[in-house]
Amino acid sequence: MQREALYQLLKTKYGFDAFRPGQYEVITDLLAGQDVLAVLPTGTGKSLIYQLVGTVVPGLVVVVSPLISLMQDQVARLNYQGEKQVAALTSQLDFGAKQSVLNHLKTLKFLFVSPEMLKQPPVLTALKLVTLSLLVIDEAHCISTWGPDFRPDYLSLGALKQTLGNPRTLMLTATATPKVREDILAQLQVPMAKQVIYSVNRPNIYLAVEQVVTEADKRARLQQLVLTVQRPSIVYFSSKRQTDLIADWLRSTTKLRVAAYHAGLSAEDRFKIQQQFMAGELDVICATSAFGMGIDKADIRQVIHYHLPNNLADYVQEIGRAGRDGQPALAVMLYAPGDEQLVRNLNELTTASPMEIQADQQRFMRQQAPNTDLSQVLQYYWTHGYSVGQVTTQFEQRQRAKEIELSQLLAYIQTKKCRRAYLMTYFSEAAPTHTATCCQLAGERLPLESLGLMAGPTESKTAVTPWQQILAQLFLQNS
Amino acid sequence: MLFADYLLLLFTTAPRRPKALFNVLRGKRTVSTLFAGLTTGTLAYLDSWHGVPLTTFEAATQQLQSAGWLEATQPGYLRVTAAGVTEQNRLRKGLYLPTAFEQFQQADVRQFTAISQLALQVVSEAVHQERRYYPLTTDQHIQWQVKNWFRQWQGPTLGQQIYDELTAFLQTLSDEAAAVFAQSLTGFGLPGLTDQQLATQLDRSPVTILVMRKDLSCHWIAWLKQQPTATPLSALLQPFLKANPVSSSAWQTFQDYLTGQSLTEIAQRRRLKLSTVREHLLETSILWPDFPAAQLLTPTRIAQLSTIFADNPVIETWQFKTVQAELPTMDFFWFRLYQIMRCHDAA
Repeated sequence: MQREALYQLLKTKYGFDAFRPGQYEVITDLLAGQDVLAVLPTGTGKSLIYQLVGTVVPGLVVVVSPLISLMQDQVARLNYQGEKQVAALTSQLDFGAKQSVLNHLKTLKFLFVSPEMLKQPPVLTALKLVTLSLLVIDEAHCISTWGPDFRPDYLSLGALKQTLGNPRTLMLTATATPKVREDILAQLQVPMAKQVIYSVNRPNIYLAVEQVVTEADKRARLQQLVLTVQRPSIVYFSSKRQTDLIADWLRSTTKLRVAAYHAGLSAEDRFKIQQQFMAGELDVICATSAFGMGIDKADIRQVIHYHLPNNLADYVQEIGRAGRDGQPALAVMLYAPGDEQLVRNLNELTTASPMEIQADQQRFMRQQAPNTDLSQVLQYYWTHGYSVGQVTTQFEQRQRAKEIELSQLLAYIQTKKCRRAYLMTYFSEAAPTHTATCCQLAGERLPLESLGLMAGPTESKTAVTPWQQILAQLFLQNS
Repeated sequence: MLFADYLLLLFTTAPRRPKALFNVLRGKRTVSTLFAGLTTGTLAYLDSWHGVPLTTFEAATQQLQSAGWLEATQPGYLRVTAAGVTEQNRLRKGLYLPTAFEQFQQADVRQFTAISQLALQVVSEAVHQERRYYPLTTDQHIQWQVKNWFRQWQGPTLGQQIYDELTAFLQTLSDEAAAVFAQSLTGFGLPGLTDQQLATQLDRSPVTILVMRKDLSCHWIAWLKQQPTATPLSALLQPFLKANPVSSSAWQTFQDYLTGQSLTEIAQRRRLKLSTVREHLLETSILWPDFPAAQLLTPTRIAQLSTIFADNPVIETWQFKTVQAELPTMDFFWFRLYQIMRCHDAA
């Protein structure tokens, strides 16, 4: 396809004049029939790549995605962009709804599916009957046991790809070290795939770490930050409960418009909060890491981590939601001594002792269905013929890897030198020269003024609109 | 206010099985659940808390026990204490109490709520010629149904029609209720408020807002059903109305029975077990007060059973083993059917 034609399509279909870094290159490689592994930072419009290819090449685009909430966000986003023939196959669908999607595959243009769902025989059978224009492995790093988000079900994707007749494949990820990249290509059996790698560095995001002594200090500092730094802000937590508590506290102690967002909310509430946030009706979102994956809001000025992220890869993803408009933005990690224990506790939840592994294998031998989260994970290994010893080793390796990731994160917090240099080195990239707008060195004040990130006056909360006026606004043309 | 507050109001000073109540609330339609609903007068709440997790329910009953408002009389039974009665009276004064939950038996309230929210969003965006927007739900099935409805009714006056219809409905409500309904809507330029946000604004609890919104859906359905002519919104509701509260399979069995077929004949023709046919008839007899239970029971059985329980007027305490001691050949079906009949008579 001609360069002009692609730009024309970009303009008419999406209203953009230029591609974002990496998009054009990946699209042309795919159109030339290449498999591509694309490592593009968050906010570079990865979904536009497969949307555009899907528009040009006849057939169905299958997107393998690890999280149901992420899939729903992606379907909503495609709907928003005018793609109507989109569906998600998730475990949340009942039998009838799933059947209905499978029966309508020919009329669909995009299908989102979890790896667990993809390997179900009825799904594979139905997919073999339609032409696939592209197979997309989203969050492709989940395939690597060396990666932080390893998902055993991703290991089947190589074989499934073969079963589906080796369609053209796009592997997408925002962060992948060279080792993880190697793993992705090996597991998916695409050694010849083209690699398109862009830097994870986001120079317009100022990196800061604030060490506090107590939990109360941390709250006070959080309050100060959301009040003094330009809004909107996202504050990340690792627990739903804390998300709710601190959101309530901020709401009652400031005049800011604050909402909590986490997986415990109803789908309707999640939708409304996302939409309010996009419409600029919220100043602060307190959220677990589920928030933001499907969000494309360009003017987020600050991302605060109230709790530590799991690792540096997650951190880079999460702060990447700030400053997508290219304007200055701020990433602050709040750290109180002992915070790392929370990460360890969360890691503990996904671990298993040799005894537990042994016991679960016996459960499998007795042909009992998996009934805990852990046995769901282990089930994969048993059905694929792993031994107890192999699985135990695998789990021990994962635990060690997680402990190493945590120590790398702590080193980022404790470093006395340039934080960006530390991050870039972690991702095997060259470190840029440190400047005044790069990052906060130990002991320095936040240069809010010179970054142009001082907060303006607080927007007053709007008065309650009478119901008659709401109805008029919604349903009458000239209101 | 919490879920536990609403739950407390469903208990009485007579011991009740919380597990059965839980099954009523989440809409489990087994005969034993339905029977429990009948004897405790909680059938109107059937399916009204669909999807509530057992852990939430158990935490709430535990909380009520810790507060001293509920006590266990024997394993698996709870009753309201004297302090609990005082608390119930206090709650009844301040708590928003639903008044139209009987609609849960007459329509698929949940489905209609989901469909109507998206339908109103679609109309609102169309009125303002907005084609790019995030739909409230990505559920394909709901999207397809709304699409079909919209194709049928779209036109230059649809926005005005919806406006008029909703205005007429909201005028029948209190200002607070109308505000909750309108502010929770999603459409062009208005994402709508969450339950939490409405709760803060109205100084209520999020659970209260949730109950209010369920009740408002019920009121809306009741209102739409009364409209004399087909309107866009009554047409949207139409597929979700139930002719009767009985499940379609049980209703079919009942219709077969009315044509004079014996239970064995029905079982053979519909390839069901006899026990299933009997369950269908029990379900119908619980949910359909006009069920001819006396005719099915025959005067002989009624005479036998009424003799056995002549000394015990508290119908829900009757035990099948009392029957077995006197009439070892009588099937449980006849005992339960008689019990249901007497419950309806008492009411």
